[in-house]
Amino acid sequence: MATPILQVRDLRTQFMTDGGIVTAVDGVSFDLHQGESLGIVGESGSGKSVTALSLLRLVPDPGRVVGGKVLFKNQDLLQLTDDEIREVRGRDISMIFQDPQSSLNPVLRTGFQIDEAMLAHGRPKAEAHARTVDLLKQVRIPAAESRVKDFPHQLSGGMRQRAMIAMGLSNAPQILIADEPTTALDVTVQAQILELLGDLNRELGAAVIMITHNMGVVAGLCTRVIVMYAGQIVEQGTVEQIFANPQHPYTWSLLRSMPRVDAVRHERLRSIEGIAPDLLHPPAGCRFHPRCPFRIEKCYTDEPVLEEHGPDNLAACWVTMDRARKEMGADDLVDIRPGAGSGVHKGQVK
Amino acid sequence: MATATTTAQVSEAEILPEQQTLWSDAWRRLKRNRLALVATIYLVFLIVVALVALVYTPYRMSAVGIAPTYAPPSAAHWFGADSIGRDVLSRLMVGAQVSLIVGVGTQLLVIAVGVPIGLLAGYYRGWLDSVLTFIINVFYGIPDLLVAMIMVFLLGPSLTNIIVAIVVTRWMDMARLMRGQTMSLREREFIEAARASGAKPARILFGHIFPNALGPIIVQATFGVPAAILFEAFLSFLGVGVQPPTPSWGSMASDGISALEYAPHIVLVPSIALSLTLLAFNFLGDGLRDALDPRQKR
Ligand SMILES: Nc1ncnc2c1ncn2[C@@H]1O[C@H](COP(=O)(O)OP(=O)(O)OP(=O)(O)O)[C@@H](O)[C@H]1O
Ligand SMILES: [Mg+2]
Repeated sequence: MATPILQVRDLRTQFMTDGGIVTAVDGVSFDLHQGESLGIVGESGSGKSVTALSLLRLVPDPGRVVGGKVLFKNQDLLQLTDDEIREVRGRDISMIFQDPQSSLNPVLRTGFQIDEAMLAHGRPKAEAHARTVDLLKQVRIPAAESRVKDFPHQLSGGMRQRAMIAMGLSNAPQILIADEPTTALDVTVQAQILELLGDLNRELGAAVIMITHNMGVVAGLCTRVIVMYAGQIVEQGTVEQIFANPQHPYTWSLLRSMPRVDAVRHERLRSIEGIAPDLLHPPAGCRFHPRCPFRIEKCYTDEPVLEEHGPDNLAACWVTMDRARKEMGADDLVDIRPGAGSGVHKGQVK
Repeated sequence: MATATTTAQVSEAEILPEQQTLWSDAWRRLKRNRLALVATIYLVFLIVVALVALVYTPYRMSAVGIAPTYAPPSAAHWFGADSIGRDVLSRLMVGAQVSLIVGVGTQLLVIAVGVPIGLLAGYYRGWLDSVLTFIINVFYGIPDLLVAMIMVFLLGPSLTNIIVAIVVTRWMDMARLMRGQTMSLREREFIEAARASGAKPARILFGHIFPNALGPIIVQATFGVPAAILFEAFLSFLGVGVQPPTPSWGSMASDGISALEYAPHIVLVPSIALSLTLLAFNFLGDGLRDALDPRQKR
């Protein structure tokens, strides 16, 4: 395979809060290939958005990227000057946010805001203006010529998100990061937006990073998946592998808690049992161990690292689901709260 | 009641295919406010009078002795004559120019000074904010009347210098308002989105944050106008304002003060004009505040 368009290495981002230092992104590494569609999933607070913001150095105060590399075409984005990174934003890598209601400026006309995204990167005014209408057509906004004059509040939620996508695509970026682009929209509109993103990914060949709570969204759109937990990647693999044979118990329980039929069109997955860890005081050992039904003694003390478990799969787990199935009866487990059902307890297995 | 209002709004928003823009909405709400409407009409009238005075006044405003000294109001001289027989109406009309120029001029300059300072302090925060806030507080600490008088004394009492003196002592409210607005607006998602699209800081400050703060800025400036007009009138009353023969409402009142007992119209006419104008700007400010308040949708 050709060299990845984006290589993230050991990315670390911290928030200096009054209570102490929160490491929201803790040693994240992954590759993104040209034109591929990568999903990042995880519960609320797992660090998905902060990871995305860190790539473009947009982490808000009191946050700071404290370490790692973000290699875009072999250039470390973290080392660029402020002016250089600004050139990358929106031109090479663009971002779409969760709530289209609030990510468009309410007092500026929609078309003008899309024009501006291009003017910021030196496209002549007349050309930008003409392209805005084309872009709105491309994201299938009806009557695009008249919509450019509308203020954001005159558009429906779905249309606003389409406009945001149009803005994101305006400079023909190589990477489009979509941070939960559909959660604020109603169900039918969600499906349309996802379809649009899929089509654009195929037609334009831009790589897409899709951040979501929803495993169903990943299944519908992505080729590869990263699963995050408490600021770290716990599993990574192809969609087929992750869905058919998840190795990390966290991934496994995410999939189990997914609504069964036609998940793309339904509400976000129920959260799994137990509470997400406090990032100010993350648990020792494996961060998932307090919620893990398959934990062993080692999980309490030793932090697992990402290791290969089969072709195209990395998981950070001392046990892994293959073993949990074989030895701990994972498939028969109904109640997946820690310790319930399987009777696997601390110290029982080695 | 509250529920009914909300429901009505929602259905209105759904039915109307083309919603009005922010400004036409505000205008609609402003028109419903009686006091603000009357104030607006008065101010439009005042502006017309001031403009007319550029080309026409009943008499030359500096012509001495065209009427008997201290003449009371009459058909020939509606507002009477002053201590040296000048026509009060003509002088009042020219005085309106002075007041409006001072009021509007100072506020435009106050915006030009206060807005960038507030934007910078609120957006960059940190040491820059500390320095700018310190400067703002220092200016709050100085006695404005004294400093304005000293400045006019040193620079010479021209209309421009009076405007400068008022701006120097009155720009801080605008800076502080803009700083607060910026601090809350910078956290909004569309600012993050603008940064993510590669917008330059100047673009974000003036193209995105500033237009969103326009409502509060306009309200603040509207309240600033009467304050400045009063300040100028007071300086002129004290004799350090606009210099003769140009009339200011303040100096006209001051001229008449010694004749208050037998020719009260000389003081009353400019004083009433001043009061009405101050009142009108304040009512307009109130009306604008309600009309431009984003929380208020009706
Ligand atoms: N402004 C902030 N100040 C302090 N800590 C923050 C801030 N923003 C994020 N964090 C920390 O970073 C962690 C990760 O946040 P992030 O927004 O990346 O989560 P997420 O995975 O995107 O969740 P969600 O699905 O809810 O969007 C949070 O749990 C929080 O501890
Ligand atoms: Mg998020």
